[in-house]
Amino acid sequence: MNMNDILLAVLVIFVAPVIGCLYAGIDRKITARLQGRVGPPLLQPYYDVRKLLSKDNLVVNPSQNFYVVVYVAFLILSLLMLVLKADILMIIFVYTVSSIALIVGGMSTGSPYARIGSSREIMAILAYEPILILYALAIYLLTGTFKLSALVNASTPLLMYTPLIFIAMIVVLNIKLKKSPFDYSTSHHGHQELVKGMTTEYSGPGMAGIEIGHFYEYVFLTGLIFVFWAVNPLIGVLISAAAFFLVTLIDNITARVYWQWMLKLSWTLLLAISIVNIAFLYFSGVKIV
Amino acid sequence: MIENTVMLLIAVPVLFSLLFVALPKSLYKYLAWAFFIIGVALSVSLVLDGTGVVEIGEPNFAMLENIVLILEVLVILFILAVSAKYKNWPTLGLGIISAAIFAYTFTSLPHAEGASFNIDQFSQIMILIVNIVGTAIILFATGYMDEYEEHRHLNRQKTFYFTMSFFLAAMNGLVMADTLGWLFLFWELTTLCSFVLISYNMDEEGINNGFRALALNLVGGITLSIGIILLATYDISTLSGIGTYAGTDATAMAAVALPVALLCIGGFAKSAQMPFQSWLLGAMVAPTPVSALLHSSTMVNAGVFLVVKLVPAFAGTSLGTAIAVYGSFTFVMCSALALSQRNAKRVLAYSTIANLGLIIASAGIGTPLAVAAAIMLILFHAISKALLFLCTGEIEHTIGSRDIEDMSGLIKKAPLLTSLAALGMVSMLLPPFGVLLTKWVSMEAASSNPIVIVFLILGSALTTVYYAKWMGTILSSSMDKNAVHHKKPETYFPLSFLGLAIIVTSIFVFSIYNYFIKPQVEILLKAAPEITGQAGQFTSEIGAFAYAAIFIVLALAIVIYFATKNMFTPRKVNYYMCGENNMETDGLMFRNGTCSYDKSSVSNIYLQNTFGESKLTVLGYAISIILIVIALAGGVL
Repeated sequence: MNMNDILLAVLVIFVAPVIGCLYAGIDRKITARLQGRVGPPLLQPYYDVRKLLSKDNLVVNPSQNFYVVVYVAFLILSLLMLVLKADILMIIFVYTVSSIALIVGGMSTGSPYARIGSSREIMAILAYEPILILYALAIYLLTGTFKLSALVNASTPLLMYTPLIFIAMIVVLNIKLKKSPFDYSTSHHGHQELVKGMTTEYSGPGMAGIEIGHFYEYVFLTGLIFVFWAVNPLIGVLISAAAFFLVTLIDNITARVYWQWMLKLSWTLLLAISIVNIAFLYFSGVKIV
Repeated sequence: MIENTVMLLIAVPVLFSLLFVALPKSLYKYLAWAFFIIGVALSVSLVLDGTGVVEIGEPNFAMLENIVLILEVLVILFILAVSAKYKNWPTLGLGIISAAIFAYTFTSLPHAEGASFNIDQFSQIMILIVNIVGTAIILFATGYMDEYEEHRHLNRQKTFYFTMSFFLAAMNGLVMADTLGWLFLFWELTTLCSFVLISYNMDEEGINNGFRALALNLVGGITLSIGIILLATYDISTLSGIGTYAGTDATAMAAVALPVALLCIGGFAKSAQMPFQSWLLGAMVAPTPVSALLHSSTMVNAGVFLVVKLVPAFAGTSLGTAIAVYGSFTFVMCSALALSQRNAKRVLAYSTIANLGLIIASAGIGTPLAVAAAIMLILFHAISKALLFLCTGEIEHTIGSRDIEDMSGLIKKAPLLTSLAALGMVSMLLPPFGVLLTKWVSMEAASSNPIVIVFLILGSALTTVYYAKWMGTILSSSMDKNAVHHKKPETYFPLSFLGLAIIVTSIFVFSIYNYFIKPQVEILLKAAPEITGQAGQFTSEIGAFAYAAIFIVLALAIVIYFATKNMFTPRKVNYYMCGENNMETDGLMFRNGTCSYDKSSVSNIYLQNTFGESKLTVLGYAISIILIVIALAGGVL
């Protein structure tokens, strides 16, 4: 690690939540406009977090906030590793730690609403984890290494050879951001009947931690989309922003489905198209570096 | 001296097994502590003695060879007698076949003039696992068995401890023996010990399951002995000899492919791979220490040990590819089956089979990187799985159930036990712990084989799911009143010791790799994986795993949590029930439509209709048998 990397890391830790906060603000603004409302100010998510931090720290289980700290810490780590172009398979495993931490945090409260939300989120892991690893595999097949650093010197963007995986990844983005039609474990909008799902028992500073974690998660997930066109950062940013707005749009025009439906979608259609894409990469033997 | 250590490693457990018979029950506790300490000392001294081949020449050889022959006859006679006594005809038939093969071997094959033990780094690792984890399990048993027997009105502890200790002796012999004839004896001895231990309860279920284990392992034993007979025609009589013979060229590899495939099938049966998995699931009826011993440090490890040792004979061939596909198939199938189980012990059993499948898949891939992953996974899996099994046993004594759904709120009843169990689960599925690191290595190694990697990806997602929901359940708090939990040092010492071992081995993973794994892979494949370990990073030719960074973040998270814990003074409240709480009594119940109260109960999702045993087992049998036939056919052609 050299000086530049350290500077970059510090920059990421402080700038990412700002970008994430803006994403969240834009999300709420778009949603409001689509529903014919004016909507809150762009910085509303920031005001929310500030207010949450000043609230009482009500807990059901004294250790429940530990899981929030793990959730945020490992999100920051996975984002850092993404920015420092580490091993993509490893990044996905690190990211899993934070997902599991949030789930276990929800379950640790023992609240029936939180436990239903958490067990649905566990099913979401079953739906998206294979796609994420297939995405990593595609990167390996095209560059000969799992290290993202190879992609910078690629001759063609990743997307050229992985259009089907890109489609699957958009759905993964949808699931991971807990947007409709997959917002059954918890959600930011009042779409669902499970009170607040996984995060039911989180309030005050604990909830603020989860919100900050979400900001990082927005940046991390759109970062995974950015990788599809990492050769030209400008186009990469445009594609990842477009993906984010597409997901927001889908959120507003679809209704929530059963989690079983998501599993069926993922383990049939999404896995099938991803594997077809992978098979193409195997048999054509194409390389982009 | 290495010769003495080798002999002691076999003699001392036998001595302890006799001591357990001779001494009264009140002394078992001290005996187990002594066994643990001596086991640790002996295995460490074997590592310090270094590697080497121990030749047994005249005059000792003649005497030892006679002992081996007598023991082999006794094993066969015991199998015949016990299967006749319980009128278990399939087992009797298999016993007669084994006897016939033995008679053929004894009369027709040339007699050996010497025998040898081969102590390489892999044997050292296995010896460490068997003698440290194994004796820790026996120590745990001394705090467990009294209560177990009290519930079931049994009094068979002398048999129990005798067999457990003898098991360790057989296992030590198995992982050190190089002469195939001797290896086969130790192999059959472990089969026999597992039969005695599984049918420990002596009820109908126990005896049936014991016989199933015996029969399936006899099938494995028969293929193993046929393989050994075939190898004798190539003048190969040692395990390392196979590698030396095959390592020369492709035609030699093709020549020994059939016997090697037969040996591997013996290994599959021992490691309870599909279609042999039912014996390991049936082994659940035995007391928990038996399951822990069978699943982590002994029995099942013998199978994968053999398969990994055979790597030079199939690396890079079509047989190797067939084995890789077969192993990864077992991995995904058993992970799916584990997802559908509510019984904690069955979840662990399927998880064991799945992980052994992953080891076999890695061995089948046969690149230096993959073989390194296989050996490391044997080590890390043994520690984590032993901890998980022992924890499950202790949980069962605490709450009286092994159903995962009954375990919610456990963190309140037994915080230390729950934390240790959670550590075991985390170590099975999340970085920075060893099992995940090796899974990462094997995935990167498997990425050159499309079928294997897709199976590994699906299996890995399923693994995450079934451990995550179990972990969430035990860590969930409940408002129920707490059960009283008694702590005994004999049970908690082994648990904490194993928990610590997980952390220490994961931190020092690169030192372990450098000291044990790298030289071993060089022995097996004449090439070392291109792995470097600078700056807390595990770097291979195609990726990098920064385990140190993850440890640091984990430590930071813990520090930050404790530092900020009291910054926002926590205030404890009951959970939110949408205003429908039963305020009169305990605030935990919902008011229902008739104005009385119902307790809320939530359970995990098990997907029984998709991944249930009734849906998948037949499919698993069919495909795994087809894959084995393909492997054999690949061997012949």
